[in-house]
Amino acid sequence: MNAPAIEISGLTKRFGSFEAVHDVSFTAEAGRITGFLGPNGAGKSTTLRMLLGLVRPDTGTAYISGRPYRDLPSPARTVGAVIDSAAAHPSMTARDHLRTACALSGLPAARIDDVLAAVRAEDFSDRRIGAFSTGMRQRLSLATALLGEPEILVLDEPSNGLDPFGIAWLRGFLRDFVAGGRTVLLSSHVLSEVQQTIDDVVVIDRGRIRWRGSVSDLPDDQDLEQAFLSLLDEGARR
Amino acid sequence: MTAFRGELVRLFATRIPWWTLLAAVLCGGGLSGLLAITGPENATPPMPGIDTPEGAGIVVGLGAVTLFVPALIGTIAVTSEYRHRTIGTTFLAVPHRGRVLGAKLAVYALLGILYGIVASISSGLVLVGAAAARGIELGTPTGELLTVLAQLAVASAVYMVLGVGIGAIARHQLLAIGAVLGYFYFLEYVLMLIPGVNALYPFLPGGATASLTRFTFLTDALAEQTTGGAAALASPALGAVILVGYALVAAAVAVWLPLRRDLA
Repeated sequence: MNAPAIEISGLTKRFGSFEAVHDVSFTAEAGRITGFLGPNGAGKSTTLRMLLGLVRPDTGTAYISGRPYRDLPSPARTVGAVIDSAAAHPSMTARDHLRTACALSGLPAARIDDVLAAVRAEDFSDRRIGAFSTGMRQRLSLATALLGEPEILVLDEPSNGLDPFGIAWLRGFLRDFVAGGRTVLLSSHVLSEVQQTIDDVVVIDRGRIRWRGSVSDLPDDQDLEQAFLSLLDEGARR
Repeated sequence: MTAFRGELVRLFATRIPWWTLLAAVLCGGGLSGLLAITGPENATPPMPGIDTPEGAGIVVGLGAVTLFVPALIGTIAVTSEYRHRTIGTTFLAVPHRGRVLGAKLAVYALLGILYGIVASISSGLVLVGAAAARGIELGTPTGELLTVLAQLAVASAVYMVLGVGIGAIARHQLLAIGAVLGYFYFLEYVLMLIPGVNALYPFLPGGATASLTRFTFLTDALAEQTTGGAAALASPALGAVILVGYALVAAAVAVWLPLRRDLA
């Protein structure tokens, strides 16, 4: 059997005396969208940053296609990641930003027009990023993640700042992305925005995993929002 | 190699190269031109004229006073990655962080050389032009003039690499800019004036630059007014070795330090 697209085992991370993440383990499977859900400050970003080699875990391992991120032969061709959609030089145009990203990853510049079309950003591709709305920045960072035609997407709060049309568009885009057997792991603290998008759920709160499983395993009489809140409430009473 | 290409593409996607060239012309030709045309002998207090070796040396050596400019350019370049939070995306593209910083150091060493060449050529041309316009013969033989200008060009590259190192250590842009200006404009002069401690001056970046370029007029004047004597300088060759040593240390720190840091 193939290794899961993303496999996280026993990750723990402390910042000084604060334990941000404690013994976090879960997988994200190919062909599915996994939602990594939790309130602000729950440890979602820290976990994703450990997965992507930006933060060093105290203990535990995080593998993408069976390897740590930094050991991937061509990271951009394996996994596209959005960790901070505001991250861009304001005086560059979207095209400059993508050209730089292509050169850094050794990708052909011909991909730029493809990804601009994929996220429908052609109209503002030659405008300076400093004047972009949050939604435009989200599209640009998603375009950057798609440059290497990766099999896996890791997205930290991708629907932040998107209007309802943007959220609907993102949902369609991600469903198409996984339809061919590719993988998405996305984090969110706004459950209603991802409820109709995700297949699997991993709930984290105060650095610990509270629940994981398929959306369809949630009790019938609850929608995801209620299930989420009751899980967090249960965790708080422990 | 892809990291190097990426950093080059990034550099030319910003306006940094054009600002660098403008700064080089202003700090080289602009500053030298101002002094050469008005005449150092007309300054307050009067300095030797450009028909003397000292006077010509002062006009071209003035470039040494503005070496903090390439240092600042290097610092701003690295810290803007942290300021605009693009460093995360960069490390995702090139997870081996040493390669990222190595590429930045190489790109900015080249930009530093370019800065130095433009500053030196413009400074030299202006000096020769000013002498011709005023009908004066330069006090320094052409060979000597070219040597000092070449030394200044190399020093510019070294200072830009130093700036990259300081930026990689500080990360916070304003803090880093403050550190560069505070050091080259204040701390080094203060250290130079403290008896005992000023024996270290030849081994500091500014002292090593003065050793290399023999541009000591300002520091001599400063020292004479306060302590009655300037700290002795090292030989030009030792000055060059010390400067390159600083650049290597800055480069090593810049490459090594981000390896273990969390990007939380």
